[in-house]
Amino acid sequence: MKRRPHIWEWTVISIALVFFFFPLLAMTRFALQRVPMALLGRDTLFSRWTIDGVVDIINNDKFVSSLWLSTRLGVLTALVLIALMLPTVLWLHLRVPQWRMLIETLSLLPYVVPPIALVVGVSGAFRESFPWIVTSNYGLVPLYVVLCLPFAFRTLDAGVGALDLRTLVDASSSLGATTLTTLRKVLVPNLWGALASTSFLGFAVVLGEFAISSLLLKPTLPMYMVEAQGQEPQGAMALGLLMMMFTTGLFFGIGRLQKRSTTRLALTEDK
Amino acid sequence: MTEFDFPGLVTPTAGEGVQKGSAGNSRALFSLTLFRTVAPLLPYFIFISVFLGIPTVVLFQKASQPIDGSTTSALSMAMQDQYRASFEYSIKLAATSALIGAIFGTLLALAITRIDRPRQLRNFFTGFSGVAANMGGIPLAFAFIATLGAQGLLTRILFHWGIDLYGSGFKIYNFWGIVIVYLYFQIPLMVLIMLPSIDGLRSTWREAASNLGASPAHYWRKIGLPLLAPSLMGGAVLLFANAFSAYATAYALASGAGRLIPVQIRFYLQGNTITGMGNLGYAMAAWMIIIEAIAIIIYLVLRRRSERWIKR
Repeated sequence: MKRRPHIWEWTVISIALVFFFFPLLAMTRFALQRVPMALLGRDTLFSRWTIDGVVDIINNDKFVSSLWLSTRLGVLTALVLIALMLPTVLWLHLRVPQWRMLIETLSLLPYVVPPIALVVGVSGAFRESFPWIVTSNYGLVPLYVVLCLPFAFRTLDAGVGALDLRTLVDASSSLGATTLTTLRKVLVPNLWGALASTSFLGFAVVLGEFAISSLLLKPTLPMYMVEAQGQEPQGAMALGLLMMMFTTGLFFGIGRLQKRSTTRLALTEDK
Repeated sequence: MTEFDFPGLVTPTAGEGVQKGSAGNSRALFSLTLFRTVAPLLPYFIFISVFLGIPTVVLFQKASQPIDGSTTSALSMAMQDQYRASFEYSIKLAATSALIGAIFGTLLALAITRIDRPRQLRNFFTGFSGVAANMGGIPLAFAFIATLGAQGLLTRILFHWGIDLYGSGFKIYNFWGIVIVYLYFQIPLMVLIMLPSIDGLRSTWREAASNLGASPAHYWRKIGLPLLAPSLMGGAVLLFANAFSAYATAYALASGAGRLIPVQIRFYLQGNTITGMGNLGYAMAAWMIIIEAIAIIIYLVLRRRSERWIKR
């Protein structure tokens, strides 16, 4: 067979590559080069590249405190998410498989209620009766958990579905293990990949979330980035770049984890 | 784990008692069994009711109340005059970005499946799409301000070449600016949606068509496109829902101003106490939920259709 030249395919791919990578390049320039746009030309292209902007922003107290807040919220959200969803998914597979439709549909509801509508509803419902959720920084945690429900259900459901859960649980309990021991020593180690992916995804969502924290005026990392945009544009650009790199790393890590956990499962099935 | 065997213990007890009094007893046992089956799910149900159910109900309740000094409900007020224009603007923007994203995303997905060298190309694009489809928010807005802002790199390069973008009325926070920025996550999302469907097109179908004398164009018109159509339309609808609910990127592009609905909601809720227009914010949020719900339902129906071909 003759080899076709694939002209339109390469055209589409080239346009895509430019569209996706030029903005990252431009962002890098603004983050790391201190030459005003008006003076940028062939002679100045390689001058005054510096990481001062990055250093300035890292030394900024407000940045540190917003990063710390977002980190705490991210960890808490991941913990609550797992504590809520792992028992639910396990119980679904063990005892009530006929309820799958209901449980899955409920987990998809956050797609119907956009974050902005969610926060408006929550503040309308609880502002007077239960103000903690609007006033405290930690009040964001349950709302972030809601945002994470769709992918948390899907990831854990796939992870549990790949196990022979019935056999594992029966074997463990016939050897005299309590429910808690079974969970700790048998299920969690076997579900390691799914649990780690869920937590990382939850953490990534919290770190980038803006709509909810902006309406409740909480000093999270994305809120600080918007603030810094006006005062320290170069630092803000650098921060945006770091954030993109961090998210990319996190997602590739999750991809790796999921691949590894499936190969491990394949190995255990051989035995 | 012995507690799970409880249902098995119930039947003999209920069977023994033929007398009158045991009917209530077995009913009590039955409800106890039901409780034991449901109990571990209660945290999940309660959590969803409290943080998703109640807020949505309250939202609609507040939205159906009238705005101060008028008799029309906020819900119908939000569909009048300038508010209606905001909705039309948001819907038009989401639809435009969904349409362009769907078409280009499909072309890109087709392109990477039809090229087999270099081998890594497809892996690279799927990996990248997984990341970029979730990219959004503030960093993405910054990247495009650096590219197409008034002082952006591309803006200046084009100016150098004699094309004055901003002189011709383009602004990064206007309609086409936001559409271009949204495409950054819309196209990768469409690639992820279309790849399984494109893989589902079997080469035997193409060969059969060409054996029967069909040209490639003929094959696409009569077989390829009709088979891809449900996932293509479903994908476009999902892209619409995705863009319609986006907030952070548009907010950062326009530094907090702008005509998009989510940005307007923020404005009316923070002007709550002063203007008495707070219910309007609730009404806009309620309409957002209604529109999202319609879009998601259409998506689910179309997905069920497209799965017919992907599976098996």
